Amino acid sequence: MRLPKGRTGCLSHPPLSPPCIQGGRLACALFLCLGLTACDREQRSLNGQPKAETIALANDPRDLSYQENSYQLSQGQRLYKWMNCSGCHANGGGGMGPPLMDDEWRYGGRMEDIVRTILHGRPNGMPRFEGKITEQEAWQIASYVRSLSAQQGQDVLSARPDSMSASEPPTLAERGKVLPENNLTGPKDEQN
Amino acid sequence: MAPLVAGGKVLVGNAGGEFGVRGWLAALDAGSGRLAWKAYNTGPDKDVLIGQAFRPFYPMDRGKDLGIHSWPPEQWKIGGGTVWGWISFDPASNTIFYGTGNPGPWNHEQRPGDNKWTAGVFARNVSTGEAKWFYQTSPHDLYDHDDINEQILLDMPVAGRMRLVLIRPGRNGYLYVLDRQTGQVLSADPFGYINSSRGVNLRSGRLIPVKEKEPQAGRVVRNICPTASGAKDWNPSAFSPRTGLIYIPHINLCMDLGVLEANYVVGTPYLGAESKVYAGPGGYRGVLTAWDPVARKPAWEVHEDLPLWSGALATAGDLVFYGTMDGWFKAVDARSGKLRWRAKVDSGIISQPVAYRGADGREYVAVISGVGGWAGALVSAQLDPRDNSAALGFVNAVRDLPNKTKSGGRLFVFALDG
Amino acid sequence: MSGGDGLDGALFNRLFALFLIVSLTMLALVLAFLAAAWFRRGGVRQDGVADENGRASREPLLRALLIGWTALIAIGLIGLTFASFLTDRGMADAIPPDRRTINIIVTAKQFWWDVNYAFDNEPSKNIRTANELHLPVGVPARVTLKSSDVIHSFWIPNLAGKQDLIPGRVNDLVLLPNRTGVFRGQCAEFCGIQHAHMALDVTVESRAQFANWLAAQGKPAPAPASPLQKAGYLYVMNRECSGCHAIAGTAANATVGPDLTHLMSRRSLAAGTLPMGRAGLYAWVADPQGVKPGNNMPYVGLDANELHAVTAYLETLK
Repeated sequence: MRLPKGRTGCLSHPPLSPPCIQGGRLACALFLCLGLTACDREQRSLNGQPKAETIALANDPRDLSYQENSYQLSQGQRLYKWMNCSGCHANGGGGMGPPLMDDEWRYGGRMEDIVRTILHGRPNGMPRFEGKITEQEAWQIASYVRSLSAQQGQDVLSARPDSMSASEPPTLAERGKVLPENNLTGPKDEQN
Repeated sequence: MAPLVAGGKVLVGNAGGEFGVRGWLAALDAGSGRLAWKAYNTGPDKDVLIGQAFRPFYPMDRGKDLGIHSWPPEQWKIGGGTVWGWISFDPASNTIFYGTGNPGPWNHEQRPGDNKWTAGVFARNVSTGEAKWFYQTSPHDLYDHDDINEQILLDMPVAGRMRLVLIRPGRNGYLYVLDRQTGQVLSADPFGYINSSRGVNLRSGRLIPVKEKEPQAGRVVRNICPTASGAKDWNPSAFSPRTGLIYIPHINLCMDLGVLEANYVVGTPYLGAESKVYAGPGGYRGVLTAWDPVARKPAWEVHEDLPLWSGALATAGDLVFYGTMDGWFKAVDARSGKLRWRAKVDSGIISQPVAYRGADGREYVAVISGVGGWAGALVSAQLDPRDNSAALGFVNAVRDLPNKTKSGGRLFVFALDG
Repeated sequence: MSGGDGLDGALFNRLFALFLIVSLTMLALVLAFLAAAWFRRGGVRQDGVADENGRASREPLLRALLIGWTALIAIGLIGLTFASFLTDRGMADAIPPDRRTINIIVTAKQFWWDVNYAFDNEPSKNIRTANELHLPVGVPARVTLKSSDVIHSFWIPNLAGKQDLIPGRVNDLVLLPNRTGVFRGQCAEFCGIQHAHMALDVTVESRAQFANWLAAQGKPAPAPASPLQKAGYLYVMNRECSGCHAIAGTAANATVGPDLTHLMSRRSLAAGTLPMGRAGLYAWVADPQGVKPGNNMPYVGLDANELHAVTAYLETLK
């Protein structure tokens, strides 16, 4: 029997999937599949990891549980504002701090690099957040930070960005197109 | 800020109004370097050096410990009011005048009250630091209107009478003429486009805000003019005694502003705002206004496409020098505003030109190039213009800048007689 | 359906009575017509033409009845709309302008209530607390309702009807409690995984008691005394706690989480999840995600000594 190609998450829940698939109803299988992938990306592990763990390992196994997971990402998005990241990095475009939505990473762009940057700080202004947020929260923020440069799938992003919307201001109307078109923020543009 | 040496003291203040600091101005003894006095701009009267000699002109600035009572509890400790701009010294009265920065955070909902002594101007005895008067240009500031702009001390006729005045083109868009002995506002006229306030009530001294332009958490208020950077930011104006005009380099920008709750965490920004900046009515972003302080109106204006972020310099040869963000160093006629000369330098200019006579007897004009700062961070720090709110929205206003200049940093000296 | 015991009780009950009478009358009429139709089945054919026996068409009578019925409905509805409008205005005007009201700003957050007592002329007397309201009996309290994340609803059944808290909008509500007691408020709009654990303790007390409470809440936190408390204080100041919480009189001034200055004076912890006390405090600090899964207080992972110290310090915040 052939199965519709889906995410592994779809097939990793045998108690739910067999009846549909055995019935050969493609639509039903697809539907469940969608539902189950949704479950996967919504999976919440609320307690995080105990404090004592180190983060020095390359390709940290925790990558998997924090990336491509919309709960962790949206918590990171919330913390990004709460911990004042946006004060320096804006909504990814930067300001007092460097932009986060471009493809340049001074200190590495892997999850564990970003986590280390957040927790330990970097020279010339990046403060140390260790002891201000938990390690789990740093991972959540890192997950969001990676989404700013479109390194997370569209389906895990928050549908409603918390940044301000960018409609045409009235004073520009009479100005015509002297300035380039206003963009929506971030990743969407990059993917189009 | 650059320290000022006056009355035997070296005066220096702090910055960081976006980081939850408490603003102060300190005076060091010029001979020994020892701290002579330090005046905070928030908190109890004894910290602010407010004593018997303090005589503010308006009732709103009178009362005990207003630096505490005009704030929610604890908030004054992290309330800003920094001193990072210009100090003026009047030797005749042994008085210094300086402005205080914005209250923090930007989100005004977190700091109900007038937020003394931020966003206003202090007059102090330079020897003791004691406050003489204070005038708050933006009580309960809504838009990051630091009041650190320069003050120009003039003796000039006001309504037919000679007065000792202090003139300051403010962030909020009004050109204030204050009596520098009492702190009374003699006039406050808009020198740029303003829609966030209706004027200044000369009886109470208070700015009259426009309710619809008041930021509110969770929503975006559109088309607020002037912006957070003000109708004019820190870049100083010049006064020419020959023409009697004040040359004000400033900007013509408006913004959308959204405020959100700022969370105070030591060592991180304490801001609570997002904004997006764009050109104001007319489409140009920079203006050089020659203002006639006696007639209380502009004599002429020069429009610049990019925001005007350099200081102005007026010379005895009736020229006014200024630089643009795309790297033109210009000299215009001080009486008409006509362009007399210009030279292109390697990067945008956001510094203050100076003129001097060299040891060889020749006259020189010097300026440093190198775009940057709030307005030029897009180029100097390579920000990403796809985010409208980058550099607190300023990137959106200058997204064409990378096509017009690059980062730099050179001193250019021009000899006047070639 | 009830306006509670609050300010608007009388006006509201009058409106309710009016609605009841009008609706009952209409219901009685409908039932009467229905009964009449039932008993007189077969009188008129659907097309309205006279039947075989040559009985005259009753069309004109029917038309008159229909017009009358429609008019009756229209008048009834317009009348009720007006009555509702007038009651609404009456509620708004019910507070004599010279009477002192208390201003309270309530901001709903997932999943707790941030409560600010605002004194417009003296902001330095403002008080910030969480998950509790104290109200003096007989004094109107104007509650400004905001939300910082999703839509919540503010509901104290004993005092007033529901009112939504919507991000980016400001609603308000006037409470006028007329008897003392302890009441429970509750978020009444599903707001997320811990919606059920988003309660508000409301204490209505005498004016003197309220004044005492206000005065006590206005004081900063005491300095830690014992070595254990000091250790806890240092932990709270230097570790994750101060990234989210404020304690007046210390360097902690964050606003993401509830203000802890007078934590122990509250009736419950975590928005009504646990009764206030040592047991609750230990459980909550040790494992907030176990107690209230999905709330925004993270699992910090304190070891036994740290937990001991932090709890000892928190217990001094009376």
